[in-house]
Amino acid sequence: MRKKRIAMLLALTLVCGTMLTACGGGGKAADGTTTVEFWAAPNPPQQAFWQEMAKEYESVTPGVKINVSPIKESPSSEASIQAAIAGGNAPTVAENINRGFAAQLSNSKALIPLDELPQFQEIVSSRNMKGTIKPWVFADGHQYVLPIYSNPMLIGWRTDLLREIGYNEPPRTYGEILDATSKLKEKHPDKFMWTKGADLADPTAWKRWFDFFLLYNAASDGNKFVEGTSLVADDKAGVEVLSFVDKLRQAGGILSQNATDPFETGAGVFTDIGPWTFDMWKTKYPELKYGENYELTLPPVPEGMDPADAKTYADAKGLVIFRGAPEASRQAAAEFLKWVYSKEEHDVKWFEQTNLPPARDDLTELEGFKQILAEKPELAPYAEAVSKGVPAMDNPKFNEIQTLIGQEAFNKIIRGEIDPQTGWDNMKKAIEGELQS
Amino acid sequence: MDKRNDKLGWIFSSPYLIFGLVFFLGPLVWSLYLSFTDWDLIAPEYDYVGLDNFLKAMATPGVQAAFWVTYKFMIIFVPLVTAMSLAVAVVIQGLPRFKSVYLIGFFLPYLSSGVVASLIVQGFLSYNSPVNEFLRGTFGIQIDWLGSPLSALFIVGLILAWKFTGYYALILTSGLESIDKEVYEAAAIDGVTDRQRFWKITLPLLYPALYTTLILSFGVTFGIFTEVYQLTGGGPNFATNTWQMEIFNQAFTNLQAGYASAIAILASLVTFISIFAIRKVLEMWGKRNGWV
Repeated sequence: MRKKRIAMLLALTLVCGTMLTACGGGGKAADGTTTVEFWAAPNPPQQAFWQEMAKEYESVTPGVKINVSPIKESPSSEASIQAAIAGGNAPTVAENINRGFAAQLSNSKALIPLDELPQFQEIVSSRNMKGTIKPWVFADGHQYVLPIYSNPMLIGWRTDLLREIGYNEPPRTYGEILDATSKLKEKHPDKFMWTKGADLADPTAWKRWFDFFLLYNAASDGNKFVEGTSLVADDKAGVEVLSFVDKLRQAGGILSQNATDPFETGAGVFTDIGPWTFDMWKTKYPELKYGENYELTLPPVPEGMDPADAKTYADAKGLVIFRGAPEASRQAAAEFLKWVYSKEEHDVKWFEQTNLPPARDDLTELEGFKQILAEKPELAPYAEAVSKGVPAMDNPKFNEIQTLIGQEAFNKIIRGEIDPQTGWDNMKKAIEGELQS
Repeated sequence: MDKRNDKLGWIFSSPYLIFGLVFFLGPLVWSLYLSFTDWDLIAPEYDYVGLDNFLKAMATPGVQAAFWVTYKFMIIFVPLVTAMSLAVAVVIQGLPRFKSVYLIGFFLPYLSSGVVASLIVQGFLSYNSPVNEFLRGTFGIQIDWLGSPLSALFIVGLILAWKFTGYYALILTSGLESIDKEVYEAAAIDGVTDRQRFWKITLPLLYPALYTTLILSFGVTFGIFTEVYQLTGGGPNFATNTWQMEIFNQAFTNLQAGYASAIAILASLVTFISIFAIRKVLEMWGKRNGWV
């Protein structure tokens, strides 16, 4: 009798558990409502945008519920997504996904190829993004990410410091920067040319986007770094980048230790700047004014290259749809995205709220954008440079590869432990080994 | 009666047993299984790779660094925290009143968040912090505190020592409290000096408590993560790369859960063997001196 009771209890638990599992995950509920779990970037303006879109869409589309929530950043948004997938709790859609992470996810069959959705081509043509989306094709020929913004990273220059050492314009080539460094050190021995701080000596993979790749993309005219399982990096450009960094270090021009806002406080002359910085400056460093004491340019290039044509790293991110979500939710998500991107005013709103240039081919032509750029002139150089941006590599081993760039070459050059050619050769050997493993 | 007691015993210990099964034994078995696969944390497939993960781990600089860094931290952290906690315990023991208030004061860092402590230290040591401005301005000294291997190790060791001093002082204080006052009185009659009293009476009688704190502090060095993650990321050049850092990086950054599990198993083995050896050495040392 007792055994029967226990067996009944177990059976009941299993049934209830199965039912609860079936109800979760954002599928079609008993009342016919389809739920889309939408994970937005953990950045308040981005969250606000998607919440607004969701509310508006729900009001015109009965039977669909879009739950917008921020991706948890502890320990990182990537790790939160991985944990959710491993635990069977992945959302329907997530934004803030770069190509490298998308490659990891697609390699593990966690994403659906967006190009197979009927809504995809409609989005590409109605949003005018045929050109922008081209470099987002993955090695297997599919599109796993719908780019939302493509933000070409630019170099910020403290023009007030430059003027003090006799420069009315920022130096744009390696030689010009090294000349300016010696002048700077003469006048201000305690100041630096490149003020990136401890990130330069840190092997963390993503940090290489904002130092090594920024320079490499400019020096190699946007040459790919890895293609499939082959390292296709431009040797000449790579060694030139490392040699420039080495010479700058020897001249005492690099601040590579931990420092609090060194560019903003005037400890040095240049650093990489993303458009998300400006809102923070408005409250924390209101004295920094575009055109008055700072300027923005494309990254510096080796001698003989045209700095005005330089390529740069594009901090470009987009949306993905997860394979694990119920079919009804995935369909509803695709419809929702089609609706959002069918109206250009939504992209205008996005740009206005987040400062992040939407991934469109007509960014500088649309009236709404022109108005925003007139109000926020510091965003204009970003909009103009969209076509110069090279997005992150689409290799599932991008973390290992970028860690090796730091550990074998870049970090060691910054600390003066290795010569540029040896660093480059060691890095290549290590990456080739990793790609073959 | 015995059977009834047996049942009661099982009932009372069952919560811990269940907890242990679910949260320790289960994950351990799962981790052991994963260590023989190439699972990437999210893919539905698991491929059996045999001992490949273990062989790869032993050959990589990150794992080799983690092995040595643990012992380097031991050399810095254990003597430092032992000396500091012993000093705190002895001073507090000698106080006429409010001993517990002082003890709580020293214990508070143990409750504080490692992240917050690391962020404060980071700000304190940054290039443009008042400390560095002063050193540069007054003495012309420029130190890259977290950028040079030795100082980075010392700084992490110091943060940990600051955090654990109060906790170990609490154990040592109770050890000191348990020493019979009559022994000291007899020694005083025999004309024993303060130094002799500490080395010949206090230290031997305190040894059981000291042994506990030493074993605990050696154990801490195998689990260092937060401070290193926050301050150095394992650098410069793997100089502060601990076991936990390596496991985290492989599992959650490089998405190699199977490989990370193999490193975790290796770390457990190294920890077990090291602590076992340290215990034996401490026991032998205590016996040779007649302290146990």
